[in-house]
Amino acid sequence: MGSFKYAIRDASRLILRHWGLSALTILTSMAVFYLIGASVLLVLNTRHIVNILEGELSVQAYLSPRADPHETAQKVTGIQHVVKVGIITKEMALQKIQGRVGDWTGVMELLGENPLPESLEIWVDRASSVESVALSLSAMTEVTDVVYAGKLAEKLSQFSHFAGQFSFAILIVAITASAVVLFNTIRIAVYSKEEEIGIMLMVGATPTFVAMPFVLQGIILGGLGSLGASSLLAFSYSGIIARLKDILPFLPFLENGTVVIELGLILVGAGATVSLIASLVAVETFTKRAMRPL
Amino acid sequence: MDIRFSGVSKIFYPDITALEDVYLEIPKGEFVYLVGPTGSGKTTLLRCITREVAPTRGQITVGSFSLRKISRVDLSIFRRDIGIIFQDFLLLPHLNVFENVAFVLEVLGAPPREVKERTGEILDQVNLWRRRFLYPPQLSGGEQQRVAVARAIVNAPSVLLADEPTGNLDLHTAEEIMQLIISINALGTTVIMATHNQYLVDAYRQRVIGIKAGRVVRDEKRGRYNLDGEL
Repeated sequence: MGSFKYAIRDASRLILRHWGLSALTILTSMAVFYLIGASVLLVLNTRHIVNILEGELSVQAYLSPRADPHETAQKVTGIQHVVKVGIITKEMALQKIQGRVGDWTGVMELLGENPLPESLEIWVDRASSVESVALSLSAMTEVTDVVYAGKLAEKLSQFSHFAGQFSFAILIVAITASAVVLFNTIRIAVYSKEEEIGIMLMVGATPTFVAMPFVLQGIILGGLGSLGASSLLAFSYSGIIARLKDILPFLPFLENGTVVIELGLILVGAGATVSLIASLVAVETFTKRAMRPL
Repeated sequence: MDIRFSGVSKIFYPDITALEDVYLEIPKGEFVYLVGPTGSGKTTLLRCITREVAPTRGQITVGSFSLRKISRVDLSIFRRDIGIIFQDFLLLPHLNVFENVAFVLEVLGAPPREVKERTGEILDQVNLWRRRFLYPPQLSGGEQQRVAVARAIVNAPSVLLADEPTGNLDLHTAEEIMQLIISINALGTTVIMATHNQYLVDAYRQRVIGIKAGRVVRDEKRGRYNLDGEL
């Protein structure tokens, strides 16, 4: 108990004695862990979007103005793997867009009439059939364009894969940077108490006892940095998602607050762990050398 | 704790011989002066006992500890039973007198109440209780050395090593410190004191070990500092 009290007292003294360095370390780990958190959220969002889009088994076929929607729908029903065909009239298409992006009255007044084409919404039996049905539809003269979520999902999946790799690289670089900064801060603190540590070791303090205040100092600095990053992330995420929804209203972003809270907790844990390891290495290197006989 | 040196040699890189083939036996509770010219190996011998220096050859045992191969944890436990007084005091300038002494008990994990009581007793013993709130730079040389002595004995070690403890002090203060060390020895603590102070060695007759160029050249039960102009 006495040892723990001593460690807490000494850790606070170390933080206050080097307050400028302490503040800089907290800010650095905050920036690093914010970067890590943001890249993790980017990956989580792209995976979420990919999963949702991949789950959609419908194909959109836009018809030429001369084509009869009912006749074409009849023809499409005959294509293998097609389960259901729905007709989307110009009015329905307009309503759908208005539902997603708001009022288009001004635009419609400018255009005079509804420019949207009629289309068919085709459901297939399984995801792997989407590609072949889309090919058959493209071959029909009544169809001007074929759009299906699978195509977008494929592109997003590629992006998600790239984002995952990029985030992993960021994770490695950022954690290394954070560990190096913490290691140096603790090392400076250790060297500032070089004489004291020397006497401590001479009177019989164990290396663990010597290390305790420094490790505690590291955990406090790293923990505060990652806690700051988590709070900033939680605060900024909803704002960023609101802006993204304005720009890309058709994409389903992750809006579950629990994800951000869980990520925040993981970041704080990671911050404390990285600090623990970095400070242990810094003190251990010193005490090992100090206890080695000449 | 008995201290035994068996054929101990220490050669510092590349070829500086600090100790050569030293055989010594110091029984528990003995008072020993180490005398010899500067650079003769007195400090190296003391540092071998604290294992700051590892011998190139030979064995050192202190009590039940063999210092040839000792783990870091065992070394910490071993050092708790050794008190050290340095010539240049080595007090921590940012801690006051009380904190400098209490520091030893704190790092050994003693409960706060014991730290307070024991530190108070020791400061009383070395006559520094009234100066407990002063910082090392505010003390005289003799007072600083008394703090160093208090720090060395506060955890009641079995062995007290003193490296020129009176080196920076006037004769009167040196005698004060000497009497303090003698009184500690009287309680059963083994004392090994490296010194150049001829007056003290001759006034307080004890075992004298003479060292020259790393070799033990004489070992007398109740010796004098300078024998036939040798040392």
